[in-house]
Amino acid sequence: MTSCRWTALGLAAALIATVPVIAHHSSAPFYDATKKIEAQGPVTKLLLRNPHSFLYFESEVNGKKVEWQVELGPAASLTRTGWTSDTLKPGTIVRVSGQPSRAEGSFGMCCARITRPDGSPITPGGRVTEEQQPPGGGLSR
Amino acid sequence: MNAKVVLTVGCIAAAAALCVGSALVGAQTPTASASPSQIPDLGGIWDGTTRARPVNSERVPWGKENFPELNERALAYQKVFDEALSPKYDCQPSTSPAIQYDPYSMQVSQWPDRVVFRYEKDDQVRTVWLDGRKPTIYDWGIQGFSVGRYEGNALLVETDHFVFDITGFDDYNGIPSSQLKKVRERYWREGQELRATVTVEDQLFLRKPASYTTRWLPQRPGYQLSAWDCDPETSRAPVRMMPQKYK
Repeated sequence: MTSCRWTALGLAAALIATVPVIAHHSSAPFYDATKKIEAQGPVTKLLLRNPHSFLYFESEVNGKKVEWQVELGPAASLTRTGWTSDTLKPGTIVRVSGQPSRAEGSFGMCCARITRPDGSPITPGGRVTEEQQPPGGGLSR
Repeated sequence: MNAKVVLTVGCIAAAAALCVGSALVGAQTPTASASPSQIPDLGGIWDGTTRARPVNSERVPWGKENFPELNERALAYQKVFDEALSPKYDCQPSTSPAIQYDPYSMQVSQWPDRVVFRYEKDDQVRTVWLDGRKPTIYDWGIQGFSVGRYEGNALLVETDHFVFDITGFDDYNGIPSSQLKKVRERYWREGQELRATVTVEDQLFLRKPASYTTRWLPQRPGYQLSAWDCDPETSRAPVRMMPQKYK
């Protein structure tokens, strides 16, 4: 029972830190949904904007410092769920895993799971995601 | 009081009478075709986010059953389409029939001579004229020119005068829309919900009209639409992550 509860909590934590990109464009031309990458480093900036927000952080790739561009949802949605421009201050170390960008030589990710290096949520309570879609959804046609 | 003053006062009074007259005419027109009991209460702020419906994608709201039948011209455009061309990456607003399905809130205001739709996405405002006016040569635009009427407890809207848009059908499938695009909408209440059927026809790109039906839920009390304020820099930023189709 206890182990089930922890499994459920772990799953919930993973979900709440996942930031989908919605509503504006397909991610397929830009990011490879069949692959997953992970990187860790200090935040350089968080831009909460419409139609997309972006998180930038640095890490080393093959001994060279690079800046990652992580595509997030629109500010209009993120701010409704607790994000502010102070949610990830410059210098905060984050661990980010997500779909890698397709362009050669680019360092981008989307559909990312963002945590602290130990895997814990980045905000108290972890309420940093879009609302989950209702089972079955609504009407579509 | 000299003659000049009398003339001025007279002109002001006449102008005021004309204005009041026009306002009354405007107020009478929409109820001429529908009794007050037939005018549905569509006003308020409506939630079109994932609370109400699945988020838009390549297959939503245009899925297997209602995906439009494209003509050869549309297929040719679709084949050469380059995502980087898409004007949304430079903050050009979404158009009908896509803007209605964007997963945000919208505000509907019903006035005697018009219904105003304000969309949180892209800060867009559409005015649906109920007073029988016709479009002029100056009424071409991304949102076109809309006229409407109440009928059978529903608001019927017809929009034309759209400008060509390389992604004017939706945000996902690279289908353009032309200056001959026409969009028909029917809005009605279903209990607490607002529902709409949106139908698009475009003789330059579609073999026959296509439509979807969707819904909105009432937004929570006190909710205010936020400003979209599209940011051109971050709007185009994803394009750097995509292999270029054309050199």
